[in-house]
Amino acid sequence: MMKRMKNNITKILVLIVICAAGYGCKKSEQFPVDKISIFYVFNPKDSAGTTAQAYLNNVYNTVKNGHNRVGSDYLDAASDDAVSRSLSTAPVTLLSTAGYTSASTIDNVWEDSPNYWSGIRAANEFINNIGVVPVKGFVLNGVSNPTSGVPNNEVWKSEARVLRAWFYFEMVRRYGGVPLLGDNVYSLNDNVAIPRSSFADCIKYIVSECDAVKDKLLAFPLSTADQNSSNYRITKGAAMTLKARALLYAASPLFNGGNIDANNPLTGYTDFNADRWLQAANAAQDVINLGTYQLNPDYKDIFLTQNNIERIWIRPVGINNTIEGNNGPIGASVSGNANTSPTQELVNSFPMLTGVNINSAGSGYSTSDPYGTTVATAKRDPRLTFNILYNGAQWLNTTIQTYEGGANKPNVNAIQTVTGYYMRKFMGLQETATSSYNTHSADWVIFRYAEILLSFAEARNEVESAPQADVYTQLYAIRKRAGITAGAANNYGIPAGLTKDQMRAVIQNEWRIEFPFEEHRFFDIRRWKIAKTVMNATHTGVSIVKTGSTLTYNPINVLTTTFADKQYLYPVPYNEVAKNPSMKQNPGW
Amino acid sequence: MLLIAKTASAASDTTMVKRTAKPGWAIGVVLDEYSQPLPGADIWVKGKDAKYKSDPKGEFELEAAEGSTLAVSYTNHYLKEVKVRSDREMMIKLDDSYLKSPESINVLYGTSKKSAVLGSVASIFTNQLTTTPASLYSYALPGQMAGLATRQLTGFTSFSSGGLTTLSIIGLRLVNASSNNNTVSDNQEMNVNVRGQTPITIIDDVQREIASLDPESIESISVLKDGLSTMLLGINSSRPVLLITTKKGERGKTRISFKASTGIQQSLGMPTPLSAYQYAYYLNETLTSDGKPPLYTSADFNAFKNHTDPIGHPDVNWYNELLTDRAPISSYNLNVNGGNDIAKYTVSLGYFDQSGIFKTASEVPYNTNNDLSRYVLNSDVGVQVTKDLNVDLQLFGRVQTTNQPGSDYKSLLNNIFNTPNLAYPMRNNNGTFGGSVRYTNNLLAQAQYSGYSQNNLDDILANLDLNYKLDKVVKGLSAKVKSNLSYQSILSLDRSLQNVVYQPKTDGTYQVFGTPIAQNNAFNTTFTSRQSFAQFSLNYNRSFGKHNIGAIALYDSKSYTTNYDLAETVTNYAARGTYNYDEKYFAEVAINRSGDNRYPPDHQFGTFYAAGLGWELAKENFIKDNLKWINSWKIRGSYAQTGSANISSQGSLYYSYVQTYGGGPTYPVGTTYNAPSTEIANALANPFIKWEQGEKIDVGTDLSLFNNHIQFTADYYHDLYRGLLGLRGNTIALLGTSYAIENIGRNLFEGGEFTATYKNNVKNFNYFITGNFNVSASKVVYKDELMTPYPWNATTGLPVNSFINGPIYGYTALGLYQTAADAATSAHIPGYTPQPGDIKYKDLNGDGIIDQFDRSTIGNTRPLLYYGLTAGFNYKGFNASVLLQGVSNRQITTLNNAVDNMGLSFSTNNVQSYENTSGRWTPETASIATLPRLAVSGSNNNSQLSTFYVKNGNYMRIKNAELGYTLPYSVTKRLRLSGIKVFVNGENLYTFSGFKGLDPEVTPTAYPIQRVFNAGISVKL
Repeated sequence: MMKRMKNNITKILVLIVICAAGYGCKKSEQFPVDKISIFYVFNPKDSAGTTAQAYLNNVYNTVKNGHNRVGSDYLDAASDDAVSRSLSTAPVTLLSTAGYTSASTIDNVWEDSPNYWSGIRAANEFINNIGVVPVKGFVLNGVSNPTSGVPNNEVWKSEARVLRAWFYFEMVRRYGGVPLLGDNVYSLNDNVAIPRSSFADCIKYIVSECDAVKDKLLAFPLSTADQNSSNYRITKGAAMTLKARALLYAASPLFNGGNIDANNPLTGYTDFNADRWLQAANAAQDVINLGTYQLNPDYKDIFLTQNNIERIWIRPVGINNTIEGNNGPIGASVSGNANTSPTQELVNSFPMLTGVNINSAGSGYSTSDPYGTTVATAKRDPRLTFNILYNGAQWLNTTIQTYEGGANKPNVNAIQTVTGYYMRKFMGLQETATSSYNTHSADWVIFRYAEILLSFAEARNEVESAPQADVYTQLYAIRKRAGITAGAANNYGIPAGLTKDQMRAVIQNEWRIEFPFEEHRFFDIRRWKIAKTVMNATHTGVSIVKTGSTLTYNPINVLTTTFADKQYLYPVPYNEVAKNPSMKQNPGW
Repeated sequence: MLLIAKTASAASDTTMVKRTAKPGWAIGVVLDEYSQPLPGADIWVKGKDAKYKSDPKGEFELEAAEGSTLAVSYTNHYLKEVKVRSDREMMIKLDDSYLKSPESINVLYGTSKKSAVLGSVASIFTNQLTTTPASLYSYALPGQMAGLATRQLTGFTSFSSGGLTTLSIIGLRLVNASSNNNTVSDNQEMNVNVRGQTPITIIDDVQREIASLDPESIESISVLKDGLSTMLLGINSSRPVLLITTKKGERGKTRISFKASTGIQQSLGMPTPLSAYQYAYYLNETLTSDGKPPLYTSADFNAFKNHTDPIGHPDVNWYNELLTDRAPISSYNLNVNGGNDIAKYTVSLGYFDQSGIFKTASEVPYNTNNDLSRYVLNSDVGVQVTKDLNVDLQLFGRVQTTNQPGSDYKSLLNNIFNTPNLAYPMRNNNGTFGGSVRYTNNLLAQAQYSGYSQNNLDDILANLDLNYKLDKVVKGLSAKVKSNLSYQSILSLDRSLQNVVYQPKTDGTYQVFGTPIAQNNAFNTTFTSRQSFAQFSLNYNRSFGKHNIGAIALYDSKSYTTNYDLAETVTNYAARGTYNYDEKYFAEVAINRSGDNRYPPDHQFGTFYAAGLGWELAKENFIKDNLKWINSWKIRGSYAQTGSANISSQGSLYYSYVQTYGGGPTYPVGTTYNAPSTEIANALANPFIKWEQGEKIDVGTDLSLFNNHIQFTADYYHDLYRGLLGLRGNTIALLGTSYAIENIGRNLFEGGEFTATYKNNVKNFNYFITGNFNVSASKVVYKDELMTPYPWNATTGLPVNSFINGPIYGYTALGLYQTAADAATSAHIPGYTPQPGDIKYKDLNGDGIIDQFDRSTIGNTRPLLYYGLTAGFNYKGFNASVLLQGVSNRQITTLNNAVDNMGLSFSTNNVQSYENTSGRWTPETASIATLPRLAVSGSNNNSQLSTFYVKNGNYMRIKNAELGYTLPYSVTKRLRLSGIKVFVNGENLYTFSGFKGLDPEVTPTAYPIQRVFNAGISVKL
């Protein structure tokens, strides 16, 4: 009996020991199935290319949405067009008051996540691998075609190449020449201490990439099906516009003849070459010659209406009223956060409805009703109303009051406009909205056709000894669309017979009033090398005092900015120079 | 006589025969606290040399004159003296001592004679745990064990609410991020640190992060600090071990104890907010200095001050209105223990309830206050199946419910901290919640009318041990199989809601703000874990003359599955050999081939080893003969090559040795902005990932003097850790992705630990004092830091940043600017124009601007001193103990409004200010200002971390104290009980701090540390 029991116990023991020893040996999932490999992303058997396209979407995702991008301000609030209303020092204010060093940078697209280097890495990984994915479908002459043309994986690859060129351009206009990485995707122990390429090589690379792929892309106008699904994608027009913009920048004084470090190939060309203007003009002409783009009849709708004929490339954002929430005036029935305060200088740069400068004799400009809000007073360029909310403007079914103590500048709340103006641009048609802000498409427009026209005008003006008719034509077109009256002379306020220098001033002002807050002004004052003048200045606003029913407009100083030569280019982030022995810092930093 | 006989029978069924008294003889029985006979107690008549021992029935019979004094002592019990009475049988009941020093102590996977331990081990026992009224035994650890340092982070447990998704892999929902023991720890309040490392908790030989065991059911807690002691953990042996052993069944009649206690908790370190009119005054000052018009008029000030307009000019002290200072805490537990030669058993059942600090509304039918209530059941049955086979089954279960206001207590405390008294009235005249466009969620509504949410934590754990003696095969050999299964889940229940607020308009109507949210009814699983553990070991212990040999061969495998993660399996093949000659010369070696399946295939296993030597000098003749007062003097040392499988410590390391891809952020496209998924490359692969290595040296000595009245232990350790996971310094953005974490760093931890104990008695007055003192220094030996031209920027060579004490890095303040001239000409932060009243910084590199190159290590560079002192006595039923605990060489920064007002912020809401604001700089108070001027525009300069905000963080607390009274046996036996004790105890009774205003350990807005006054009764049957 006892012995049997013992035997049983021994058996049980042996069993337990076997169980214990065999424990853990069972094969189960050895590597998490949710962790997919590159073969899954770029699947040689996936004719739909679903994951590959998802990867390309991620490259697109690196394209920045400029709305309230820097801190919570628009980048142009670091130019002479606007200031931040922030109570403590806003990033854009640091940018405009030289409050940054190589160690503490603002708008750090080099390092801050997601930075352009991550976009370039993702683009390269896509470019290197998409070839194996047999994506069905083709693009024939810029239109999706099921049977023939450029295979879709080649189209996607071309898009990635243009995106990569865009990322380089975004860095080149900030830093000058940057390292060109080719198609390399580096891993952990690779040497990435790569030197900067020259400015000239970077421009050449960007242009050659755009040239190489422009005919392997969708083309505007898109078919309805493409429009519904692919209106964010790089088109032939976008690639050509990128080329035109890159060449325009390359031809501009900062890089062409005005290099801040004359013999430094990283900061610009080491010589001046007038031919660069010609190339820029030709590149813009090429886009015009496509004949597919036009100015949208309504200026305001460029930013609100999807797929309008002026848009060349957008960064899709979605349907919302976030812009209103961030930048709308305080004190309205739907309160905004009042983020961007346009300056008086920007307001003053808008001409009269006739296109005549406000300071010109006989302009009709009234100092007691500067915005022309009453019936009797001469009106201003309609773009003023589309870009800026001023005292007396319509908003949310009421009238904006930015006089001292008015509803939208009550002075009891620390958060309000500091210049007497609020930004109006990009917002929906809220003039008559009441209970809440309407939502609307809020895409960030990167390239639009007006840019091509102005680029052409600017470059052409520089090519010729005196402005030719084609320069005037483009300006007339832009002003006409803006709603400026043609006038008796049919010249939209631009006198005939201007000198090259006079015309340049007109064009530069037109850039300012056509594109405020669109991340043009910040870079334009640099490439024109006028920042040292316009940014070493005190920017002003207006204090409107209401006595009875009389308004008095008193200028007030808002912010004094400073600008030194070295600020024409951003400093390469300190860490990148310290870590990379091949990395050269920009002059002065 | 009858009564005595009855009691004797109640006390022990072995003393049925009543012995008759004899003149000139002392006849009696020695009893323990359960009134069970205590065999082997020393008994002697004072003044005489002869010593006697109680027999197996606890009885004794010795010659002693009537009226002479009999002394009785027993190990780990207090000595007792009684007058001899020869007319009756004496009942001598000994009290359990507070401090203990048993001969045999628990080590990893077994026990060892204390004299044979060559590592560094400190232990505390039940009595040192039960005086602390708290939710976790961790609260009893501070100051009691040499080498263990703690820092409390918050005064209440945390909640987890989000449901599990497939993204809930490690790192995203790893609660116990600092421990690679990747189960959820229930200790979220206290950071426990041993020699700079977070220990692994091992309960009854199984890794489990459970800190809420009932202290009454714990026999001992030991901390194993050196590498030799932890070597059987192999790839995790770098971590010290907190070894917890629960009580096992003991032979003898059933011992039943019941303990009930209840107390109140008070929050410590609550800041004093400014009253509404003071706040309004400073707000105006801030506005004015920012160049803005003032907001309040003198009429407003008067209204705030005189409370004439409570709706328009409210003055609500949110602390007083919403928080209580009388939060109850209570605990009850029942322990049953007993057994015979065949079976032994113990059952422990505990209930604990801790209420939070929030007031509740009587009309709300459910509890909205924080509350933790917990049932813990622990049972253990050991059966001697045959002479050779012992089977032991342990079952542990825990059911815990935590409750909190629906608005979440952490955000509520944060909002209370930040909301000014004048923000809005608690309620409007019509009873609605007050608020405004800027305050759309009323604090009263958040605290009492926001519903509630709950966490339910359930645990079950089963341990089965089989011990088989193989003496028949080889003498001294035995085999052991241990298996363990455990399961844990945390469920959350969301019954929160949100109310709107109303602001009166001038026309008598109200404007509504906020978004109402109807009561939710959501149920989520927030965490699950399953663990299985199996261990097979062969043990060999035998003596050959004076040669004592021991050996163990061990295989174990532990598998964790948490949430969606693949199981992590840790496997050990280990062997350990011990040898000593005559208990005089000791040697021990251990080796472990150990691996973790989360490392790259083929690189999962490493070999780890350790060795130790010891020498008992007191056994040498030259001491034995000459220095008789030395009872024992051991010198010991150990060396170990250890490992730390840190691969599970960070989510980004989860199977990242090959490049993987996953879903990224969505990207809205097309005319409908449908958002297709994006595919992104996950963290950069590191195919070279490896465990961290440790090289640990420990040298120590244990000394016992004067009949063991004085005991002294000292240890020196030198622990070097290599291959620590970290980010390389040379990260270049051109790579285009984040660098992977690599095995780069080297840290050195070095220090000394000293423990001294003196215990003695004067007649029945037994007293003791014990103290421990730790000096711990650490150094970053290497971290691949990006070097700058300025040596003061480097952190290599400085102390290691740890949870307890990290170096503080910032600017050097030169006080406040007093003159405009000074402000205009001094070096300053680019883009900022300093003004008088701003903090002036030292331009360390002299380049005329203040930037990152002017930052350096400005605090916590000295070795941390951590100490504890316990003293107590036992006299005629009274017992008392007090524990002091303190930290020195500690500095803290407190960049928050309660201490450092940087001016009032207007970015979203105006935030609350505290009484310290009165110390701000003004031209009039320039010389005595303790804070910079009030200005939002100055925050870019004044809110930088600098020496201005470095405070002395030293403190010493009366951490714990207890006073108890055990009723005389003559009383309790009449109640047919073995013992009754009443006691009062308390926690955090008083704090001596180098820094005024707030608690030096737990600062806002964490749940405050609590002072507890507790009283209770303990009954033994």
